[in-house]
Amino acid sequence: MAQDYFLLVFLSAVGVIQIAAVHARLEGLWFFRHAKVQYAFGILAILGAFGWFFTGSNRNLQPNVEGAQQLGLFLAAIVTAYVATAILSSIIQARVGTKPEHPAEGKQEDLGMETLKTTTVLGGILSSLRRERKDRV
Amino acid sequence: MPPLSGWTVWITGFVGKVPALDQLMRLLVSDFFVPVVICLIMLGLWLGHPDRARREYYQRAVMNAAVGIGISALVVRILNVHLFWSRPFLVDDVVVRESATQAAQTIFYLPHDPTFPSNAAAVSFAAATGIWLGNRAAGAVLFFLAFLWTFARFYAGIHFFVDLAGGAMIGVVTGLLMAKVFMPRTEPLPTLVLKLGRMLYIA
Repeated sequence: MAQDYFLLVFLSAVGVIQIAAVHARLEGLWFFRHAKVQYAFGILAILGAFGWFFTGSNRNLQPNVEGAQQLGLFLAAIVTAYVATAILSSIIQARVGTKPEHPAEGKQEDLGMETLKTTTVLGGILSSLRRERKDRV
Repeated sequence: MPPLSGWTVWITGFVGKVPALDQLMRLLVSDFFVPVVICLIMLGLWLGHPDRARREYYQRAVMNAAVGIGISALVVRILNVHLFWSRPFLVDDVVVRESATQAAQTIFYLPHDPTFPSNAAAVSFAAATGIWLGNRAAGAVLFFLAFLWTFARFYAGIHFFVDLAGGAMIGVVTGLLMAKVFMPRTEPLPTLVLKLGRMLYIA
């Protein structure tokens, strides 16, 4: 049950992140070039995860996933989903060459996710490292 | 038995009459469905606004709601130790006990942790209150989900009405206190958390 719960949250969180990334225009997190495909993927991921979890077997049994464990699994699944999205979108966009890397100017601690409007997470990290090296020299 | 326990007999009397309604309640009462949907809405709110300042405002609301969830669960845990009465399917009154047992076995399972106040009601209403103070539309959806989850638990005969009303009240009060009193006084901690999140590309 714990693994199933982790997978439910992971898959549906990936879907939510994809849909939210379209809304927020955080193109650095996109898996696809077109917003409509992003939406479709996000909705399918959420519905697929919920459909699989709740129709597969009876989930209303004496809990073997207790409250604290449920919270831990949820947080782990959300973090994994975000990291997986960041890595996958960076690889896809680097390979397909959909987006030129134009990191926003300014400190990362001020910009935050705003950077992801113009570059991917890995692109942003690399350009931050480059900038830091340049500043040191 | 707590006050208004007769309401349990009335509501659990519907169980088994409309199979489609029972099926819906099996989904809504689940330990997983509503909590996961609520948290996914909070995740969407955390990420989903194009404007930087607005996004930060929503992120603060999500933080308030998350702290509200934690504190309300703690309050419930403390009250559970001091205020105790049995689940509806464990009381001495035969009518209440049999009606609730039949409903719980049909819709859910027979939980044996303390019943008052309802943890599900407290945490879901705390989340809804925290979010509502930052975003009315998302908050309204969360209040609706919290109501559905709470109602399903009443329908399934695993809580008395008083357990759920008490839990919801604790959730709303905790959510308000966290957002309006506690969190503003913990500055600059929330700002530092957001700064760290920005460095990690998550805020």
